[in-house]
Amino acid sequence: MIIEMNHIKKHFDGLGVLHDISFGVDKGEVVSVIGPSGSGKSTLLRCATFLEDIDGGEILYMGQRAAYTDADGKAVYVAPKELRRFRSYCGLVFQQFNLFPHYNILKNLTDAPMKVQGKSKAEAESIAMELLRKMGIEDKAKAYPFQLSGGQQQRVAIARALAMKPEILFFDEPTSALDPELTGEVLKVIRQLAEEKMTMVVVTHEMPFAKAVSNRVIFMADGVIVEQGDPLDVFDAPKEERTKQFLRVFEQ
Amino acid sequence: MTFSKMLSTMSAGMLRTCGLFALTLLLSLPLGMLVALLRKSRLKIVQMLTRGFISVMRGTPLMLQLLAWYFGPYYLFGWSIRGWRFPALLVGFVLNYAAYFAEIYRGGIESIPVGQYEAAEVLGYTKAQTFMRIILPQVIKRIMPSVTNEVITLVKDTSLAFTLAYQEVFSLAKQISASQTSFMPFVIAGVFYFVANYAVEFGMGRIEKALDYYK
Repeated sequence: MIIEMNHIKKHFDGLGVLHDISFGVDKGEVVSVIGPSGSGKSTLLRCATFLEDIDGGEILYMGQRAAYTDADGKAVYVAPKELRRFRSYCGLVFQQFNLFPHYNILKNLTDAPMKVQGKSKAEAESIAMELLRKMGIEDKAKAYPFQLSGGQQQRVAIARALAMKPEILFFDEPTSALDPELTGEVLKVIRQLAEEKMTMVVVTHEMPFAKAVSNRVIFMADGVIVEQGDPLDVFDAPKEERTKQFLRVFEQ
Repeated sequence: MTFSKMLSTMSAGMLRTCGLFALTLLLSLPLGMLVALLRKSRLKIVQMLTRGFISVMRGTPLMLQLLAWYFGPYYLFGWSIRGWRFPALLVGFVLNYAAYFAEIYRGGIESIPVGQYEAAEVLGYTKAQTFMRIILPQVIKRIMPSVTNEVITLVKDTSLAFTLAYQEVFSLAKQISASQTSFMPFVIAGVFYFVANYAVEFGMGRIEKALDYYK
C-alpha cells in the first residue's frame, strides 16, 4: 500500500470534521472521493498531505508510520526532518492551482526539484519539458501563469506536482474553479495519468468522470465513509440511503 | 551674498541631507523586515513588545524622538553628548522609519494568499525557502507604491534634523535667510527637495516597471 490512514479523527475548534476514517490506496489505484460539501473530503486530503495535523489515528506511507496516536490518545508526528521525507511521497493539486505567479511555467516546474531535491538544472528542465509536452503546453514554458487559461494553469499545477516524482498524487476538486469548457482538458490529463497507472486520489464532483476513470469510489458524508466500492456498484446500485439521496441530486 | 555663494554654501548641506537620507534608508529597510517578522512571532511577549515599539514610534512626533535620542543620554545618565549628534539623528530616523516599513511589510506579507504557502509546503520547501523564494518576491512587488510614499516622506523629513542643529540643507537655508534677509535660500532648498523626490519617483517607477512582468 502506498498510503494507509487508520481511524483518523480531526476536529476544528471542537467541531468534528473527520470521525474515525480509515482507508488505504494501493499502487496504481485510482480512487475517487465524492460527497456533499462539508463532508470532510478536502480535510481528508489535507491530512494525508500533512497540511493539517490529525487529532487521532495513524498515517502510514509505504508501510512506515508518519503519524500515530500515543498511549495518552494524542496524535504524534515523526520529527520534522523525517516528515519531509514522507511529504516527498505525495503530491497535491489544488482547486485554485496555486502556481507561483512570479516564476514562469518552466521555473514553476523546476524550482522545487532543484532547491528541494537537489537536482541539476539540466535534469530538472528535461523532466519539466517532458511533462509540459505530455500536458500539451510545451509552448508555454516561458510564459507566466497569468497569461494562461485556467485549464492550462491547472495542467501546469499537475505537471509541477509530477515533477517531484511522487508515489501518489492527490487532487482537491481540480476542476471546480474552471469553466465547464475547460474542465474537459484537465480531466483528460488525469485520465491519461490513470492509464499510465499513476496512483491517484481525486476529490471531485464530476460523477461521470469518477465512474469512468476510478477503480474505487468512496462516498463521504458528515465526516464518515458511508459507502465505498467499485464505481459501477456505488453509482448504479448504491446500498446506503444517504448515497442514493446524494446521487439523486446529480441525476436531475 | 551672491546667489552662487548661497548655492555653494548650501551644497554642503545638500550632501549631508543626502547622506542622512541614504543611510537611513539603507538601515531601516532591512530593520523594518526584522521588526515585521518579530511582530508576527509566535511568542506572545515578543509580539507585544514589537507592537508597543511600533505604537510609540508612530504615535509620537519624530521631532520629539530626535530630541529624546540626542539629549536622553545626558538627562538620564549624565553622559557627555559630544559627537553624538549625527549618531542620535541616525538612530532616531532609522528606528522611526523601520516601524513604518515594518507595518508596510506586514501588510504585504498578510496579503499573500495562504495557497502560496500551502503549495510550497506540499512541494517540500523549508520555511526559510518558502519565505525567501516564494513569499518575499511577491511582497516586494505589492508594497512598492507604499514604500515609494514612505521614501518621499523621508526625503522631506530629513529637514527635521535642524532640531538638533545639524547643518543639513534646511538648517543652512534658515541661517542664511536670517542673516541675509533673503527668501532665496528657502527657494533653493525647496527646489532641492523637489528634484530629489523627482529622482526618487523616477527610480521607484523604474523598479515597479521591472516587476511588472507578472501579475
